[in-house]
Amino acid sequence: MTRRSRRLAGLGLGLLSALLLVALTAPWLAPYDPTVRVGVPFARPSAAHLLGTDDVGKDLLSGLIHGARVSLLVGVVAALSATVLGSGVGIVAGYARGVVDTVAMRLVDVVLSLPVLPLTIVVGVFAGPGLRTQIFVIAGVLWAGMARELRAQVLSLRERDHLQALLAMGARPWHVLPRHVLPAVAPLIGPQFVLATKTAILLEASLAFLGLGDLTRASWGTMLSLAHARSAFLTDAWLWWVLPPGLAIATTVLAFGLLGHVLEERTRPGLRDRPAAPRRDVPVSAPVVDTVDAALVISQLSVRYGDVLVVDGVSLTVAAGELVGLVGESGSGKSTIAGAALALLPAGATVSGGGVRVCGQDLTNASPAALRALRGNRVALIPQEANSALNPVLTVGFQLAETVRAHRPVGRAAVRARALELLGQVGLDPDRVGDYPHQLSGGMRQRVVIAMALAGDPEVLVADEPTSGLDVLVQADVLDLLDGLRTRLGLAMLVVSHDLPVIERVADRIAVLQAGRLVEVGDTATITTVAAHPCTQALLASAPRLRLPAGQVRR
Amino acid sequence: MSRTCGRIGQYVLVLWVAGTLNFALPRLAPGDPVAYVYGGDAQALSERQLAALRETFGLDRSLAEQYAGFWTGLLRGDLGTSVQDSRPVVDVLAERLPWTVALVGTATALAFVLGSLLGAWAAWRRGSKRDAAVTSAVLAVDAMPGFWIAMVAVAVFAVQLGWFPSYGAVALDGQGLGAAGEVVSRMVLPVATLALAGIGGFFLLARAAMVGVLDEPFVRLARAKGLRESRVAVVHGLRTALLPVFTNLALAIGALLSGAVVVETVFAYPGLGSLIFEAVTVRDYPLLQGAFLLVTVGIVGANLLADLAYPLLDPRLRRVRAPRGTQLRQVVVRG
Repeated sequence: MTRRSRRLAGLGLGLLSALLLVALTAPWLAPYDPTVRVGVPFARPSAAHLLGTDDVGKDLLSGLIHGARVSLLVGVVAALSATVLGSGVGIVAGYARGVVDTVAMRLVDVVLSLPVLPLTIVVGVFAGPGLRTQIFVIAGVLWAGMARELRAQVLSLRERDHLQALLAMGARPWHVLPRHVLPAVAPLIGPQFVLATKTAILLEASLAFLGLGDLTRASWGTMLSLAHARSAFLTDAWLWWVLPPGLAIATTVLAFGLLGHVLEERTRPGLRDRPAAPRRDVPVSAPVVDTVDAALVISQLSVRYGDVLVVDGVSLTVAAGELVGLVGESGSGKSTIAGAALALLPAGATVSGGGVRVCGQDLTNASPAALRALRGNRVALIPQEANSALNPVLTVGFQLAETVRAHRPVGRAAVRARALELLGQVGLDPDRVGDYPHQLSGGMRQRVVIAMALAGDPEVLVADEPTSGLDVLVQADVLDLLDGLRTRLGLAMLVVSHDLPVIERVADRIAVLQAGRLVEVGDTATITTVAAHPCTQALLASAPRLRLPAGQVRR
Repeated sequence: MSRTCGRIGQYVLVLWVAGTLNFALPRLAPGDPVAYVYGGDAQALSERQLAALRETFGLDRSLAEQYAGFWTGLLRGDLGTSVQDSRPVVDVLAERLPWTVALVGTATALAFVLGSLLGAWAAWRRGSKRDAAVTSAVLAVDAMPGFWIAMVAVAVFAVQLGWFPSYGAVALDGQGLGAAGEVVSRMVLPVATLALAGIGGFFLLARAAMVGVLDEPFVRLARAKGLRESRVAVVHGLRTALLPVFTNLALAIGALLSGAVVVETVFAYPGLGSLIFEAVTVRDYPLLQGAFLLVTVGIVGANLLADLAYPLLDPRLRRVRAPRGTQLRQVVVRG
């Protein structure tokens, strides 16, 4: 849990404890009985009546204090009933599946589609006003959302191996449900209950405001209902008659909301926010002092994620027209290096030493505007998994065109012509320009991101696993395409891959990375034949074809 | 297409349940059903008069016959007679409906635009002090009951400051352009209140969606292409993050209609909401039931419109040209 979450949860819990205390001690805390006339009607606040009196002379402060009891009682009891019903239905539906599930979920959908407040009003009116009605109708609409939530959880739980094994062995529901299903979904029920209480309290207030509350008891909703009926907001009385009960409701609801939010965040870490990337993508560190004049120069680069050093003093150069393969196992830091070559590190990663030069320009201390002018223009990225790297709701042509326009002020017709030319360059039918990414095959999408990388006529191309997720034949096509472009356009190309045997076909030089350090750099032929480092040998041995371990066989 | 058919089936089911609820409630509630349909003081009537009333309303027939009669009436647009007005419920509803449509429509549009923009902005600046401040403020507003915001708005902006009228939708003696101005100025406070009460849902959803989208590889690639940050945020971030928010629009309309009940009541705005309140106050059961049905139909209609509009916004839901060599099929991304 982050510090902010802890603070919010603490705030919520503190507020709730205070409210609970007020509710429990109301008879002693309140100066008067809120149901009895104790002063003149419509009295302004005074020492005797701190918040004045209502239209018949009841003390408003006492009503406010006693109101906590009704709000909490109705909120908690209604939410509790809804939780029991909702989780019961959800768990049974998710566990039983089939007809039971279909029927239950149809019902849930119906309840969720009905207008909440009008529904509770209609039912409430027929059942007659009172606390029991309020609890009944509120629980009657709140259970559905929970049932849906828990059903989804149980369904996914059912797919887990240990449950599959139990079910395959013929375990009975009365054994599986209480022992294996309930404990697993129980942590989810807590936040659901807290959030339902929040909604229940708001609904209670609305129902009471509409005159469907228990008129014999003081509640915040009925106080506001009376204030409305007596037009208290047309005079100064709104300050002591309207403001306090509303603020009390808002505070209670907020407290439950904060607590529920934090609880939910804790049970589902995916909901937690990761901090945004820092505004300056590359933090200040020592500028690169390197005299080597290559298109891409990485010198003594170190990158850390928090305390973990993921790239440790890596130096590598790629000259124009050269294709360098950067290979390593997953987690060796190769994608981080690829990102650093464009000053695009993931959130939480910082350059802690060394730096990168592109076409003579140091990225380390470059301004955001300077970086933007470089990216896509002088150094371009071919991302891994083109499927997720293309925006799913924009056409291929649009995404190509915006890349062309990002660095050159060209007209509409020229942009279109360039987009079509780029598609041709990567071997795609220009007809595809109006297609959305999901309409293309995996290999076509990979070609589209390559075309996008070429759009700004860059000098340096960084390809991050350009063939991952493609089948072997398409892999070869894509690599041949990259190889051809490198030769034709004289590009400096850094290709990151975990697959040494694939990259060796096209690379001039190969760098082997292990746990953030370069362990071997050299000509492709040298690396693949006289590889000394065990890591390189392991990578060579992972070849998806029949072949004796390198080093044993000299070609 | 099967997806749309399934949805339509669901909507028919919703309407059937809502109708059946209307039929069942007076018959399940304590006391003589006659009291609910007749509306007047049934206890003052003699047994003979009650029997006559039962016959008039068909309450002496079998439950199955009554149910069949109820639906044939409903499908012909017969919602019974309002007790208070002695007019057909349909006429009363027709009079009130436009006001609520205008009110809820404007407020929904406002809440959608402001809530999603603010939520997306907070996500863009996530983790910052400004994000924390805006998110806390929205959560606080979201915790306030709509009718209370309305009462405070009347007290502050209508009574204390006198900026806007606080009551009704039209001036009693207005004519021509002045009357139109009156209508607008009387709409400002109810619309603002309703929009404020509805903004939280859109904000939280848009913020969560935008946070998710900003972590997507295509946003990183957009930066790698050298696009301006504003373009990354709007074209790639916001455009994509709005899809789930829009999916929720129909549900949100349901919530805003609920809000309209209490907000209209405070502003004495002559829409369906205050009608429901009046019907509750005088226990005009047929009117209340009719209003409930109409609101349900409205929500179902909003959902249906949204279903039809999704494919326009999300190309993945369109019937599309498939990769060559495969058959034409509908690509469904969300279940």
